[in-house]
Amino acid sequence: MAPVDIAIVGWSQSSLVSAAPVSEPHLCLQTVTAAIAHSGVGLREIGFTCSGSCDYLSGGPFVFVANLEAAGAWPPISESHVEMDGAWALYEAWVRLQEGDIDTALVFGSGKSSPSDRAQLYPQQMDPYYLAPLGADPDSLAAIQARALIDSGKATERDFAEVVQRSLRNAKSNPNVVQSGDFDIDALLAAGYVNSPLRPHDLPPVTDGAAAVVLATADRARQLTDRPVWIRGIDHRIEPHYPGVRDLTSSPSAALAARKAGIGDGAVDIAEISAVYSPQEIILREALGLGDSVAVNPSGGALAANPVMATGLIRIIEAARRVADGSARRVLAHAAGGQCLQQNLVCIMEAE
Amino acid sequence: MTDATGAEPVQVMEHLVSLTYREPLPPSTVRFGEALIAGRILGQKCPQCGRVFMPPKDFCPLDVIMLGPEHDVEVADRGLVTGFTIITPVRYYGQTKTEPFIYASVLLDGADSTLGGQDITGLPVEQLRMGMRVQAVWKAQADRDWEGMTTRGWGSVGGSIESFTPTGEPDVPREQFLEHII
Amino acid sequence: MSSEPCAIIGIGQTKHSKARVDVSEAGLVREAALRALEDAQLTFKDIDAVVVGKAPDAFEGVMQPELFLADALGASGKPLLRVHTAGSVGGSTVIVGSHLVEAGIHERVLVVAYEKQSDGNAQWGLGGGRGGSIGAGGAFAPFIRAYMERSHAPEYIGWMVAVKDRLNALKNPYAHLRIEDISLEKVKESPMLWDPLHFLESCPSSDGACAMVLTNAAGARSVPNPAWILASAVRSEMGQFPGRDAVRPRAGVECAHDVYERAGITNPRQQIDVAEIYVPFSWYEPMWLEGHDIAELGEGWKMTDRGDTEITGSFPVNPSGGVLSSNPIGASGMLRMAEAALQVRGAAGEHQVDGARVSLGQAYGGNAQYFAMAVMGASLDAVSG
Repeated sequence: MAPVDIAIVGWSQSSLVSAAPVSEPHLCLQTVTAAIAHSGVGLREIGFTCSGSCDYLSGGPFVFVANLEAAGAWPPISESHVEMDGAWALYEAWVRLQEGDIDTALVFGSGKSSPSDRAQLYPQQMDPYYLAPLGADPDSLAAIQARALIDSGKATERDFAEVVQRSLRNAKSNPNVVQSGDFDIDALLAAGYVNSPLRPHDLPPVTDGAAAVVLATADRARQLTDRPVWIRGIDHRIEPHYPGVRDLTSSPSAALAARKAGIGDGAVDIAEISAVYSPQEIILREALGLGDSVAVNPSGGALAANPVMATGLIRIIEAARRVADGSARRVLAHAAGGQCLQQNLVCIMEAE
Repeated sequence: MTDATGAEPVQVMEHLVSLTYREPLPPSTVRFGEALIAGRILGQKCPQCGRVFMPPKDFCPLDVIMLGPEHDVEVADRGLVTGFTIITPVRYYGQTKTEPFIYASVLLDGADSTLGGQDITGLPVEQLRMGMRVQAVWKAQADRDWEGMTTRGWGSVGGSIESFTPTGEPDVPREQFLEHII
Repeated sequence: MSSEPCAIIGIGQTKHSKARVDVSEAGLVREAALRALEDAQLTFKDIDAVVVGKAPDAFEGVMQPELFLADALGASGKPLLRVHTAGSVGGSTVIVGSHLVEAGIHERVLVVAYEKQSDGNAQWGLGGGRGGSIGAGGAFAPFIRAYMERSHAPEYIGWMVAVKDRLNALKNPYAHLRIEDISLEKVKESPMLWDPLHFLESCPSSDGACAMVLTNAAGARSVPNPAWILASAVRSEMGQFPGRDAVRPRAGVECAHDVYERAGITNPRQQIDVAEIYVPFSWYEPMWLEGHDIAELGEGWKMTDRGDTEITGSFPVNPSGGVLSSNPIGASGMLRMAEAALQVRGAAGEHQVDGARVSLGQAYGGNAQYFAMAVMGASLDAVSG
């Protein structure tokens, strides 16, 4: 059975800031209304809505329910929610559209990281018997991954600094980031470690934000825009949870997801990847087969702004917009979940 | 079953976690709280559908549009009980209640959305009924505070209004508030 | 473009109880998953994708536990999704899984839903993590009061449902509550927790898991009695807003109409042989019978009163004992789908409804605002045939 062709026809990101003065539902409402306006689809015409967020990040059980107020859920809507980055909500919507009975879907992802301390919060995401009691926090786990990468000979601390320099320089042309600028490599390397071998700029900035995307099936997409951004393939895979049983220097799940999404069908011009810590970009470049001809994270990527639960969806948006504006023909977007790239999603998009 | 040393195997491990979230109150909640301290109850009127939401949220969820302070309106501190239950509290870590308590929804005059979780005082519990007209029992101004103002939900009146009490007016017929039960 | 039909070929669930201290979270989900795989005569290796559903993670104190459970569920190298739609999640998880099959993306999907809420405290969780929790019962009690007043139903209707479901549970080896001497008197005398609901009219807090193996038409040939998902639908509405009918939510009505239409059902009362409906508080049986247009307005309680909803009645509801007998919150919605599927497979053992060929599974959640429904059939033409 041939898959239904689906395109991205509209999108929006909220202002990505280190601390949003408004609530998460507000952020969702802003982006939903803007994405809908961008797409030309009426809110009440949407056939299916799916959102991504995380109750523990948002600070309470059932907190995701309030985000429904942003989605136009009256009269009642056909809707679902994943406790994952909005990129997976997009995946669920893409699957739903394959049924062929509806022709549009609305997706959004949101998260405010500023209210919590990630060193306190994310150990709760680890195995509760063996890892959470150790206080296994994300910066430490990323540092362990970075150390493994250095020890394997695949990268040096200078390579990490170069990722940071490139990302933050790219971010200068992106008005919607938390940090950007020109940084000298030696100056970056002169900074002290926060979690050896990671330095402050190797870590993602705390960011609040939301993003929304509108999808449409082929005929509808062509009615709505001259420049639909076609999703040629989308796949996601997960690896074992325990850092001790994985090779942290590689990402087989990202490689597999990319293969299944059709990376072999043609070279990509641009890759927007969710490398939340600088060493992860090196791992992902290898896993996704991104050579020097691929522009990686022209938006600045997650090192410039990391609104958890929306970061992956924003990678999809940043890649899609460059297809829509004609600056790229075929692009890859990547989202990650869990720690040390445990779970990976790859979305390959292309111009008409 | 015991092991070679005669010790019981570990079956349960206790892992107590405390997570702190610090989030600024949304501007609408700040305006609501300030008004309560001053003895006023704020709602917000949507220019499109005309409904008055109380507390204000700075958006209308029915029209899916943003609203602002220019849409704030005052609602009365009296209204009617649209629905209620009486909760017998169960013990759990963090529980604050020890005695059965009333949990009622009140539709204030001028508002279209209800105020939930209100205590009704000044009458025997058996006489509590849907449709009863009630009036706010305010705390003395000096005693009002921001209790209940959080980013979960849109604000609570608990820091300024202790409860609601019957006014003695005739009950409102069911048909007039069937769609405001909660 | 048409979609591939989706069949359920393996069903597994755990023994549900107040506290499954004999297993870890991984052990709990594996108990259900292994039973489902065994039922389907498959192993983890045969599964292409995993969809996990559960209610808020604060119930166990583990954030996004599906990440650490990936290993236990054989998900390494596979796609894993985590659905979270509050109380309806068990139902919506099945529906998300079914779409993966129907869209031809995967051949065999394992869906798992669970809650190990004894690890945390459900009342605390339902109260948003604060004191003064009203629990789920406190939220629904005003709606129930409003239904009782609207319908003029006699007060014993709730007690009847409470008795019926617990007696049914005695025929279900997995059920949590086993109250051999349950009676109308016992229910009536039990303490009032959320006026007007008595303690024995309320669901227990349970640990438990449910799992199913979904596959396409080719895969369904491997078992003699697949259950076919003939249709599914989801609807959500906001939990509180002016003009909301919280007693008979429009999302519930529209979800039902959507699933009936897709299944070719024009007369649910006649064409559905058995229903597993999320009834966590006794009065929700008549409320959902009306709320899903199985009974006319004001007539739902009469179906209960007449005994129509008994296992031997004309419209059996919750022959498994339902949520009133076992409520691991995240799993309960999937248990409804699983029990509905067991019925049309003829595999419900002692609580089998004779001749069941078309069944309805329903889950709801939040402030009675999320709905997930599916119609299952013993064959693809079970409704019309």
